[in-house]
Amino acid sequence: MSDMVTRTVRLTAPPDTVDTVHDLLDALWPSVPDVSARDRMSLDTAIIELAANVIQHANRGKPITATLTVIAFPDRIEVTLSDSGEVEEIDIDGRFMPAPDELAESGRGIALMKALVDTVEHRRVDGFNHWTLVREREQVRQPDAPPRHLPSVSISGIIDEMARQRALEEMGILDSPPEDRFDRVTRLAKQLFGVGGAKINLIDGDRQWAKSTAGYGDEVVPRDKAVCAVTIEDDRTLVVQDLLADPLLADRGVPGAVEFYAGHPLQAPGGERIGALCVYDGKPRQFSEREKEMLRDLADWVQQELTASHELSRAAEVQQGLLPQSLISMPGWDIAGMCLPARAVGGDFYDWYPVGEGAAITLADTMGKGIGSAIIAATVRAVLRSAARFGDVAGAVDLAAASLNADLDTIGLFVTLLHGRLDMDSGEFTYVDAGHGLTVVARRDGTIERLRSHTPPLGVDLETEWQSHSVILNPGDVLVTASDGLLDLYDGTLDALDKIGALALLASTSAEVTDAVRARARGVAPDDVTVVVVRRDG
Amino acid sequence: MKIDVVDGPGGVVVLKPEGRLNMVAAPAVREAVSSIVDSGRSKVAVDLSGVEFIDSSGLGALISGLKTTRQAGGDLRIAGANDQVKLVLSLTNLERVLTPYDTVENAYGDA
Repeated sequence: MSDMVTRTVRLTAPPDTVDTVHDLLDALWPSVPDVSARDRMSLDTAIIELAANVIQHANRGKPITATLTVIAFPDRIEVTLSDSGEVEEIDIDGRFMPAPDELAESGRGIALMKALVDTVEHRRVDGFNHWTLVREREQVRQPDAPPRHLPSVSISGIIDEMARQRALEEMGILDSPPEDRFDRVTRLAKQLFGVGGAKINLIDGDRQWAKSTAGYGDEVVPRDKAVCAVTIEDDRTLVVQDLLADPLLADRGVPGAVEFYAGHPLQAPGGERIGALCVYDGKPRQFSEREKEMLRDLADWVQQELTASHELSRAAEVQQGLLPQSLISMPGWDIAGMCLPARAVGGDFYDWYPVGEGAAITLADTMGKGIGSAIIAATVRAVLRSAARFGDVAGAVDLAAASLNADLDTIGLFVTLLHGRLDMDSGEFTYVDAGHGLTVVARRDGTIERLRSHTPPLGVDLETEWQSHSVILNPGDVLVTASDGLLDLYDGTLDALDKIGALALLASTSAEVTDAVRARARGVAPDDVTVVVVRRDG
Repeated sequence: MKIDVVDGPGGVVVLKPEGRLNMVAAPAVREAVSSIVDSGRSKVAVDLSGVEFIDSSGLGALISGLKTTRQAGGDLRIAGANDQVKLVLSLTNLERVLTPYDTVENAYGDA
C-alpha cells in the first residue's frame, strides 16, 4: 500500500488554464497505483470543477495566482487550492443542483463538487481563498480478500477486546432504560432513509444489545449473528447492499427482515468502538454517498449524547470526591454527613475540617439543581475553606460573602448557609445561619430546639452584617442540620426537622441517621438532600 | 478543441469532439452547434466516444446546444459517453435530458 503521495502545481491565470491542472492530475495518478477508478474519476472531476471556478473568476477580473496541492493518503485524498482571487461570499451549504428541466447552462459547479467528494470547505484568510476537498477512498478489493475482516482471535485481538469491553462497561449505559434523546435519532434515521428499522447497538460480550430501536428489530441478538459486530472492526461506515448475497456476511442477514444494512461505528471516550448506529431493510437496496454522509452525521449526534452522559458521570464522581470522605476524628464526638443530588450533580454540599481545638462545619444550598448549581457550590466551598483561616466564624462568612457577592449578583443566585465552629472541649457551637434556618438541637432529655436564622442568604444583600450566635452541646445532645430537600421527604414543613432530631436521639450513631435519610431519599427526592449530624457522646 | 462534423444517418449532423470538454473547449462546442443550426439543420448528434472528460462547463455547452436545436425545431442527443461522462450526467440529474445512447445510430433510432 502506498504511503502519502503529494503533488503541487502553481498556476497563474491567464495564461494557465484548466489544462495545466489536467496535466498535473495525469502525472499524479500513476504514482498512486491503488486508486480505484471511481475515486480517480470523482477527484479529477471535482478538482477541475474547483480550478475552473477559480480561473473563471480570474478571467473576469484580475489575473490570479493559485497553488494546488493533491495529497493521497492510504485512506483518503486531500486537495487544497489557495488562490488570490477576489470572490464574494461563498455559500457551499446552500448550493444545490439546479432542476434538470430548467436546462440551466451554469450553476452546477459547487453542487457537483459536493456530490463527488466527502468534504468541501472554503475559507477566506488575508486576501486568499483556501479551498479544501477531501474524498475518502473506496476500499480496493483484492479478488480473494473479503471486504471486511471478522473479529480477530489472536492474542492482541483478545486483549483489545477486553479493553473495549471494559470501556463499554464503564460508560454505564448497558441495559439502561430507553431515553428519548437516543430514540429521536433512530426515529429520524428510519424516516430519513425510508428503511424498515434503525438501531443504536452496543456489542457487549457475546451479545448485541440495542439501546434504541425504531421500527422492527430484537433488543438482543447473539454477537455472531450481528452485523454491527463486524462494523466495529473498522472505523468506517459499513454498507452491505445485499446481505444474503455477501459471502462473508450472508449468515448474519435475516431473509425478509435484514437484507440491506448500513452502519457507522460509535466510540467510547477513549476511542474504543463499542457499537454502531445502523439502518436495515427487508430487501436489498442502494445507499448513496450522500446517504452515507447523513448516516455519519447522525452517528456523530449519537456520539455527542454518549459523551455528554459520560462527562456528567465524571462530574458526579468529582463532586462526590469533594465531600469529606472520613468521619472526623474528634474524641467525644460523632459526626456524619450525607449528600444526595437529585440529578447527576447538584447544588448542595456539606464540609468539615479541623480548626483550632475543634472543627469547622458547613452546610450550604445554592438555589437550583444540576450543573450550574454544582459549579457555584464548588466555588462556595473553596472560598469558605480559604476564609476559615481568618478570624472567627462571622469574619469567615464576611470574607466569603465579599468574594462571592458580585458573582452571585450577576447570576442572580443566592446561597443559604450554615457555617459554624465547634469547640470540642466546651461543646460550644458558634455559627452563622445565612437564610438556612434548618438546624435543630435535640437535647438528651428529648426536647428539640430549632436554631433560627438571623441573617439573609449570601448574594441577597451586599450590606449584610454577619452575626454569629452560639449554642452549647452537652453530652448526649445531637445537632442536626439539613437542606430543604429533606423536608420534601416528609410533609414539607419544618416538622420534618423535629422528626429527624427525634430519630437522632434514638439512633446509636450519627451514621445511622444519615444512612436512614439516604435510604429514604434514594430515587425519589425531587431536590438535592443533604444532612449533617453532630452528636456529643454522653 | 478539434471537432469533426459529418453527415449522419437520417439527416442528422454528427459532431465529434476530441479531448476534454471543459471550460476551454466549451465555446467551440456552442459555436459548432450554432453554425449547424444557422445553416438550416437542427437534428444534431454529439458523438462523445473521443471525449475523455467533461465538466459542468462542457455540460453547459451541451445544454446550450440542446436549447438552440430545439428552438429551431430539432434536438441534440449524445452517444458514446464513457464512465466519467455518465457519472457527471448522473450526479447532475441530467440523464433523462441528455440520455447517453450507446451509438449515434441508437441516438436517433426512433426517428
